[in-house]
Amino acid sequence: MSGGGMAMTASRGAWGRGVAVLGVLMVLALAALLPFALQDVFQQRIAALVLLAAISASAWNLIGGYAGQVSIGHAVFFGVGAYSSLLGYTLFEWPPIAGAPIGILISLVFATLIGLPTFRLRGHYFSMATIAAAELVRILVVNWPLVGGAVGLMGPAVPRSALDLSFTSPRPYYWIFLGVLAVLLLLTYQMSRSRMGFYLRAIKGQERAARGLGVPVQRYKYYALLLSAGFTSLAGSLYAMMVGFVDPDSGFGILISVRMVIIAALGGAGTLFGPLAGAIILVPLEEWTNAAFGGGGTGITYVVYGFVIMLISRFAPGGLAEIWRRLRAAGRRHA
Amino acid sequence: MPITRRGTLALPALALAAGPAAAQGAPVKIGVLLPLTGNAASAGNSARAAIELATELVNTPHPELAAMPLMATAGLPNLGGRKLEAVFADNQGNPSVGQNQALRLITQERVVGLTNGYQSSVALTASAVAERYGIPYVNGESVATNLTERGFKWFFRTTPIGPDIARVYLDFIEEQQKQGRPVGKIAIVHENTEYGTSIADTIAKEAEARGRQIGLGIAYSANSADVSPQVLQMKDAQPDVAIFISYTSDAILYMRTMRAQGYKPPILIGDDSGFSDDSFIQTVGDISQGVINRSAFDASRPGSNSNKINALYKAKTGREMDDTTARMMQGFLVMADAINRAGSTEPAKIQAALRATDLKPDQLMIGYRGVRFNEKGQNVLASALLVQLRGKEYVSVWPEDQASAPLELPFKGWS
Amino acid sequence: MILAQLVLNGLLVGAVYALFSSGLTLIWGMMNVVNFAHGDFVMLAMYVAFFAATLLGWGPAAFVPLAAMALFLLGVLVYLMLVRHVMRGPMLAQILSTFGLALVLRYAALWAFSANFVSLPEDLTGEVVTRGGLRLEPSRVLAGIAALLVTLGLHLLLTRTALGSRLLAVAEDRTAAMLVGIRPDPMQALAWGIGAACTGIAGGLIALFFYVAPSVGESLVLIAFVVVCLGGFGSVPGALVAGLAIGVIEALSAFWVGAAFKDVVVYALFLGALWFRPQGLLGKA
Repeated sequence: MSGGGMAMTASRGAWGRGVAVLGVLMVLALAALLPFALQDVFQQRIAALVLLAAISASAWNLIGGYAGQVSIGHAVFFGVGAYSSLLGYTLFEWPPIAGAPIGILISLVFATLIGLPTFRLRGHYFSMATIAAAELVRILVVNWPLVGGAVGLMGPAVPRSALDLSFTSPRPYYWIFLGVLAVLLLLTYQMSRSRMGFYLRAIKGQERAARGLGVPVQRYKYYALLLSAGFTSLAGSLYAMMVGFVDPDSGFGILISVRMVIIAALGGAGTLFGPLAGAIILVPLEEWTNAAFGGGGTGITYVVYGFVIMLISRFAPGGLAEIWRRLRAAGRRHA
Repeated sequence: MPITRRGTLALPALALAAGPAAAQGAPVKIGVLLPLTGNAASAGNSARAAIELATELVNTPHPELAAMPLMATAGLPNLGGRKLEAVFADNQGNPSVGQNQALRLITQERVVGLTNGYQSSVALTASAVAERYGIPYVNGESVATNLTERGFKWFFRTTPIGPDIARVYLDFIEEQQKQGRPVGKIAIVHENTEYGTSIADTIAKEAEARGRQIGLGIAYSANSADVSPQVLQMKDAQPDVAIFISYTSDAILYMRTMRAQGYKPPILIGDDSGFSDDSFIQTVGDISQGVINRSAFDASRPGSNSNKINALYKAKTGREMDDTTARMMQGFLVMADAINRAGSTEPAKIQAALRATDLKPDQLMIGYRGVRFNEKGQNVLASALLVQLRGKEYVSVWPEDQASAPLELPFKGWS
Repeated sequence: MILAQLVLNGLLVGAVYALFSSGLTLIWGMMNVVNFAHGDFVMLAMYVAFFAATLLGWGPAAFVPLAAMALFLLGVLVYLMLVRHVMRGPMLAQILSTFGLALVLRYAALWAFSANFVSLPEDLTGEVVTRGGLRLEPSRVLAGIAALLVTLGLHLLLTRTALGSRLLAVAEDRTAAMLVGIRPDPMQALAWGIGAACTGIAGGLIALFFYVAPSVGESLVLIAFVVVCLGGFGSVPGALVAGLAIGVIEALSAFWVGAAFKDVVVYALFLGALWFRPQGLLGKA
């Protein structure tokens, strides 16, 4: 009887997994069809930008959310990715995508240079070190004519072939970004369910205790940073291909780092879909505030962002995910 | 199949753009991209006021400005008197946002043309969108050379750019040498964003081409709150000519610091932006007497278009119009004129009209030698003269045939 | 001669750096919370000074204490409403809280005052004096000396007064302090107030010779971090030595390496210090 029962449970488990996978595939298919539902080209572009922001924020989430190491200098990886793509084009006439793997490699080197020495420091120090590192790179780039200096780098003005990935319509970008995001989220999911995820949770919660229990703290923080840096760099390369231009501010500026952190924290740092949720809310909101206030010249966007961050930190550090959980728990209690 | 795809995408865009033409009497919309928030917000807002003025002048009869196109009549005469409408969008000084807004203006607002942009990085990305959609773009103020080096067919620029400016300065310096002044050591002090860097680079290149060296190159961060080490560097090096390329705040900062450190270069050239801003004149004008600036906008001659437009601008905003704002307004007016000459809101016709532009100096509100675009879309008649600060006003001093006052050297400063 | 002038200017500015960094080191040493908004506190103090000078016609003797008081209140307020609640929470919340505050202060200032630099009326403190070939700007000399005195005063407060020992007790061991009857909450609020008041004094003094703009906070906070890092967390004397050193290093690098790279030197120093000696020059490991 128990053997049969166990067999039934096992097959129900397999069923459950199958249903979950099917569910995910359906959501993906629906997401892929979204651009057709949006007639307006501008709305399609916003949708693509939402996905791009979600990629950056989800990449940040690996080190900032899951490992609890709050980097406010992730722009350094983003900028490296963007610059590598356009440098490949400017110096060697490569299609920008060819520069992306190089950008990832360089970002991994930077991650090593920044991470290894600073991970043994406490949280605040790491954050400040990341800010300083990103600013340092930005200033160096501003003063280095070979990589465009203050003027920046342009992509192909007129696409030479489909390989240049320079499309007029936002739709192809949307699908590329959707693909990359799906891969990233899948990797994040697998990671969180693996031993690495387990260790990172321990490190995030109580680092000293984790170390005491024999968790190889430095090594796993480093792995998380490598993964995070690589994907952030890829996001930068994708940005460069879509916008066709990068300069020190739009590649390495501190606001780029800040935006990643806000989006992830708003949706829920350390959760799988938190960054995506944050992006879905924040990116259209930016557009709306620009249209509503921008023409009038008030520029309170970042004041609002700052308030949002403060409120999140004070009341719901887990972001919307936390609020959602609390609501559900409250709902269950009343049921 | 990219070419075919572009072709097929351009067609619906044309069809969309032809929409407004069908609606008789509806205003003709021009999209205006400006930095209305962020670091360049004051320049953006000055330009907005100027372009609002321009729209008003086009839409209502102003016989006193009859020399300029579209002023004497109401609206656009070749389009049945339809009114002009400027649709403003804030680019926040960010190239990606600028691109978004350009896309929005083209696809949602259905503008027939785009203008301005201000920061070269923004103009670059925004005009890339316009080029794809086949919408004409007229830029009046961005100086980066690469904007007209992309082989674009829909991008036009009316302002003098780096090489033009460099030529003016070097010609001036060479003439001073002929007059017996020492000009061996040239210092360039520039803020290190795209504006300062591109102009500094082109000046250095032009100097080199003429066999001169830049003795001292100081690049500073536009965010500095203290520049005394830089002034001390100059005091140490004692250049004969100091060329500053700065925004308003840094320009004011430098003048004050030079005074505190007791340093005066014999010839001080302050390039446009910061030095022509009214707040510079009001705040440190009295300690910067004799600073040389380049400007295409000389409002001092009574009866000239510049003088009249400046008076109207002052009535509207309470401030004097500066060179940058004037250049932005002129760019907008050139677009309006082209639309009128095209007699249609069809982008291809406006593009043809822009290519055929041949405005004479007395048809402009700024001191260019005219407006005529070469095959790259650059105005070959864009020019500037050198002006010098006397009291609270800049007067034209060079070239001599266009001067309204004699050049006074060395730099007086605060004495 | 130019060199001597540079070093002199650097020392005088460095003294002011030391002053506001002392505030940061106090807060940091006491409760392990980093105030990312520290530079923006200084920026606000500069604007207080600016408005007091231009709208009310006050001189430094009046607006510096005003800025100190205003910032004291702000510091206490920030502690009570924000920091107190996030202090023992997750790291992300702690960092986001003051970082969010920094954004709010900086961009509200940008919106309210515009990006243009403004400055106090000229010669509030008199004409430049020349002694032995060196140009002494009275504003810088005044600021430098005042900063030194206040820093020493803070050090004495902490080490020689009863209040100071209570503050240090809470910093050292919160629970033990509670056991001997010291209430940590008011002490920590006071620490924030004093730390912020230091930025108030420093800001009021700097405004005499620096130019005031919303963007200054960004660079000043990094300087404060470098100073605190080099000088050792929690050490006011360390902040003094490090502040003076940074002031001189900054001035010399701006002259030799170029203005564009002076920030690079400061950041590189910071990263180097973090890597090789995170406890600072005079701090405990």
